[in-house]
Amino acid sequence: MSTTTAPETTEVEAPAQDWKGQSVPRKEDRRLVQGQGVFVDDVKRHGMGYIHFVRSPYAHAHITSIDVSQAEEMPGVYGTLTGEEVAALTDPFFQISSVPGANLKDYALAVGKVRYVGEAVVAVVAETRERARDASELVEIEYEPLAAITDARHAQDDGVPTIHDDAGGNLMWHGTYEWGDLDAAFAEADKIVTIDELHFHRFNSTPLECDGALVEYNRGVGQWTIHTNNQFPGFAAIMMGPAMRTGLDKLRFVTQDIGGGFGNKITSHPQLVACCLLARKLGRAVQWTEWRTDFHMSMSHGNERWFHETEVAVKSDGTLLGFRTKALDDAGAWLRYEPLGGVIWAQVTPGMYKWRNIRVDFTQVATNKAPVSPNRGYSRMQHLWFTERVIDIVAKELDIDPVEMRKRNYIKTEDMPYETPNGCVYDSGDYARMLDIGLELIDYANIDQRRLEATARGKLLGVGIGSTLDSGTNNFGQSRMINSELQFSGNNEVATVKLDIFGEIVVTLGTTPQGQGHETTAAQVVADILKCSVDDVHVRAGHDSYWNSHAGFSGTYASQFAVTGLSAVKGATDLLAAEIKKLAGAVFGGVPEEALELADGGVRIKDNPDAFLPFMACGAIINANNAGLPEDLGVTLNCRYVYRPPFEVPDIERKFGNLTLTYATQIHVAVIEIDPETGAYDIVDYAAVDDCGKRINPQIVEGQVMGATAHALGAATHEHYAYDEDGNLLTPNFYDYHVPHALDMPPLKTAATESPSPFTPLGTKGMGEGGGAGIHAICAAVQDALRGHGDAIVSDSCNPYHRVWEMLQAPAEAGGRVSVVDA
Amino acid sequence: MLLREVGYARPGSLGEAIELLAADDGARALAGGQTLINVMKARAGSPDALIDLAGIEELKGIELRADGTLEIGAMATYTELVESSEARARPIIGEVCAQIADVQVRNRGTIGGNLCTSDPTNHLPPLMAALGAQMTIAGAGGERTVPASEFFLGVYMTAVGVGEVLTKITVPAGRSDGFAAVTLGVEGTCIASAAASVNGGVTIALGCVDAVPVVLHPGSVDEDAVREAVRDANLDPPSDVHAPSSYRKHLAEVLAVRAVNQARS
Amino acid sequence: MSTVTTSRSIKVTINGTTYEREVEARKLLIHFIRDDLDLTGSHIGCDTGNCGACSVIVDGSLVKSCMLLAVQADGATVETVEGLAHGDELNKLQQAFKDHHALQCGYCTPGMLMSATALLRANPHPSEDEIKKGLQGNICRCTGYWNIFEAVKAASE
Repeated sequence: MSTTTAPETTEVEAPAQDWKGQSVPRKEDRRLVQGQGVFVDDVKRHGMGYIHFVRSPYAHAHITSIDVSQAEEMPGVYGTLTGEEVAALTDPFFQISSVPGANLKDYALAVGKVRYVGEAVVAVVAETRERARDASELVEIEYEPLAAITDARHAQDDGVPTIHDDAGGNLMWHGTYEWGDLDAAFAEADKIVTIDELHFHRFNSTPLECDGALVEYNRGVGQWTIHTNNQFPGFAAIMMGPAMRTGLDKLRFVTQDIGGGFGNKITSHPQLVACCLLARKLGRAVQWTEWRTDFHMSMSHGNERWFHETEVAVKSDGTLLGFRTKALDDAGAWLRYEPLGGVIWAQVTPGMYKWRNIRVDFTQVATNKAPVSPNRGYSRMQHLWFTERVIDIVAKELDIDPVEMRKRNYIKTEDMPYETPNGCVYDSGDYARMLDIGLELIDYANIDQRRLEATARGKLLGVGIGSTLDSGTNNFGQSRMINSELQFSGNNEVATVKLDIFGEIVVTLGTTPQGQGHETTAAQVVADILKCSVDDVHVRAGHDSYWNSHAGFSGTYASQFAVTGLSAVKGATDLLAAEIKKLAGAVFGGVPEEALELADGGVRIKDNPDAFLPFMACGAIINANNAGLPEDLGVTLNCRYVYRPPFEVPDIERKFGNLTLTYATQIHVAVIEIDPETGAYDIVDYAAVDDCGKRINPQIVEGQVMGATAHALGAATHEHYAYDEDGNLLTPNFYDYHVPHALDMPPLKTAATESPSPFTPLGTKGMGEGGGAGIHAICAAVQDALRGHGDAIVSDSCNPYHRVWEMLQAPAEAGGRVSVVDA
Repeated sequence: MLLREVGYARPGSLGEAIELLAADDGARALAGGQTLINVMKARAGSPDALIDLAGIEELKGIELRADGTLEIGAMATYTELVESSEARARPIIGEVCAQIADVQVRNRGTIGGNLCTSDPTNHLPPLMAALGAQMTIAGAGGERTVPASEFFLGVYMTAVGVGEVLTKITVPAGRSDGFAAVTLGVEGTCIASAAASVNGGVTIALGCVDAVPVVLHPGSVDEDAVREAVRDANLDPPSDVHAPSSYRKHLAEVLAVRAVNQARS
Repeated sequence: MSTVTTSRSIKVTINGTTYEREVEARKLLIHFIRDDLDLTGSHIGCDTGNCGACSVIVDGSLVKSCMLLAVQADGATVETVEGLAHGDELNKLQQAFKDHHALQCGYCTPGMLMSATALLRANPHPSEDEIKKGLQGNICRCTGYWNIFEAVKAASE
């Protein structure tokens, strides 16, 4: 077969049955292992200018003057952009929040005031990267420093500085969620466990490639082409278009390979606007590379959250009846995707447990720290850490085995699909069975013996379980619980599958993969329907708005490709298969479609296999040899399908409704050994059990599980965006922000169960975020190891060695405060 | 990533290097560059000129003298120290160098650079202090020798002055040494470290607890004596994002004991 | 007598091709490779020499090309990821990375491959611990490393 695209050697043997379910080697890898990927920083244009952002050294200050004249006079400098220009040329970004957060005036560069260290104030463009930075040192900015707020717990105190005068204070959003009958639950309880404070720390997934863009402006048609690694172009477009006073068609987004995203590459729209303004102003392509330190200081930190005055109603046997808590979320300086975190957690309101009576008072405040935005496990991870901490704290206080505690309260497989107190529907899963598999993997049956052996070596052994959900395929209608005036609901994704003129099968997605292997799994789905090899399926790499294969929610985020993306691929391929048969029926002289089948790279008459029309002939007939075809044939062999999940608009008053379509499940079990002299600990055994319904490519699924585990273990032990009280980030690079290296990775055992989702076309569930299960497991393991050695309560999600040592030294001060009263 | 403009020269002899360094007090010697280049990338430091020592033969090589003394050229890399059969005469040197950073950094980074950087979290300042190494410094006026215990003057400050180069590290014979550290991640940056040598007397050098290594001489190798020596030092270590002062103070005692125990074993 | 200059002409042989260019003394080797020579396979993932995405082999020695000035590589022979395959045929290590799903986004992969290449040259049959130690200088944020260890092990067999 001749092709118009690059030839691809056949590397994969056809499976006996479906391509789906096979660990097909990835199509992406051939280019990536040769250094032939095209990442954003690899895109170059003649005469392009390099952007360097001048960033604020202050956490909070008025900008009293900016002088760019010296910088602009430096040889090799093309020009600059200031906040004043941005404010004149653009409107503030649309705010998702209701008031007071709705009142924020957020621009591409700081206007009049800086609100965190690292905030971009001026952009300088020059002929080389080095020269742009040289010139940025000549930009003179005078600041009038203000006191900074870095602790969310004090953001609303009397007399503290107001970060956004437009909001009239530091409160950004507040909402109360209550379901069931709290009074009855607490009346029925035998015991009430009160937990004073729990703290989920600030970190993010630090994709190895930072953000960036190369932006060209076509003056003749008024259009920007934005080569970028933004992972949610649909969102970037609706933020940028209105701000730039331009139609969305004037913003063409292009990506090929993206060096990891994990949610952190959703909110680069301010920088992209600055790039667009500069490309237009300077009449040349401009290029922005975000360096690691820039990323750490300014990009998409995960939500830091506090849980105060938590009360849990529980029966003596450990049966959970309900809880109430006050969640306090630290948004940082701007609401770039927030306050959506204020509702996203509600996708997993009861965690994995049969709690029916729940009250969460949710407050989000601004601080003088980098803005938070989605990060792998976005907002659910914080809440699931909370529910898992509650389980282990209650189990400890009631002296109930954590395994028994979970099994007693887990939602059971026979109750699936299970409607949560807030109307979400858990589609399928068998949590107790997964827990048993995890326990078996770490040889839990012999754990007492191992504990003794560790003690003999002077070590404290601890076992911890983290059981979590990875809710995927958002119903964007949940945003209306944040702001009832928003006009978002449902979700969608697009795929186009066509037979080209020489019969090539070409698949175009709307997604922006960052390592998830979309080219491969999409090909598997297509190959099964068209009865061909995955090698015959050409899936375009990346995203391009010009392909017209995207919709409002297109992108790669929030655990949904296996549902939204692959369902779109399936839908488009089903349409194409039907068209191929329709065409063949006509060519064969009126053979009904039921009498035809696809096989061996073509279509044939079932009872007469000699009557065979290869795809090449189909493509050629429709595209280049169509005289004489019936007028009403209605076949283009170019099929676009928009997958729309079955959602209703939630009930905003009751904050009730199905917020996500699928619930993948993770149960992790960690075994650690603490050196009591130093507080240092090793993870000596680890099991990750995953269920994401039907797996299209088990190897890719396992890769996501292991990667998410590494993220969680890094966050649990070292990764922390720590600030001093003046608002300086203390971990602005990989030297101080320690992510796991090869030697840090513990032994890892994985297992999978498959509970197909009844709600998705392929039985798949979105996955990959992992719910932070490893963080929960490590916290539980530390608390377990400290039993009998001070009995500290682990109340922080990050436990570096010194914190463990402090919990050993002074358990009451360093650990959480908990009380139990008989109801 | 983007350095300020800088001059560069690659002299072929030590004399030439000293001349170039003396000619401009803003010039800095460039050894392996595994710290200096990073500092310059952050524009936290901007020398006028880098005098690259890579082409100077006199600064290379590891020699073992008949009396067991090791003479290590300042430009010896960590990898060379790990792999050198001569350096095995004092096995702790290779053992510790093998824990520094990673393969890439060990291939470029040098003992001289590590010592001259005088970063309190570096491995080699306390180790050399514990081993009683002697530092040979060359300048326009000739050579002088400074004991390790006097070499480190402060954070990023050493006895090497303007127009001078650390040329050689001389380590006396001995085998009973130890090193212990608590690090940020496995074999990561030291949060606290201790090196010990019990060749004859007992010498302990503590890292990360002060601007320079704290050198102690407990009366014996007994745990109580070691702990008492550390306590008597009245350490007041810095607090930072990785550890509060109290934790470092505690670790100093624990790690001193562990380093001494390794040295005895 | 050598003199101090802020730029100089250098000659570097990369994957068999010799390049002569005038470069500023301040230019990092990685920027020379990526920006001046358009060999964009080697990547940049940090600015402190921690991530290893820019790892290349200089005169047989594995280094991070962001911690080396281009002028320091004058006269050197450099190997980068672009030199690993034999024409269209992946080498054993590249094939093993593909077979074992040792990459997701692929951004760290070029540096990881160069570290693994250096490791296997020095130690053709490394133990698991030796593989981990050989890759300690390369951060991967996608895979959790285990598939990379497996791939290197497979390539060494």
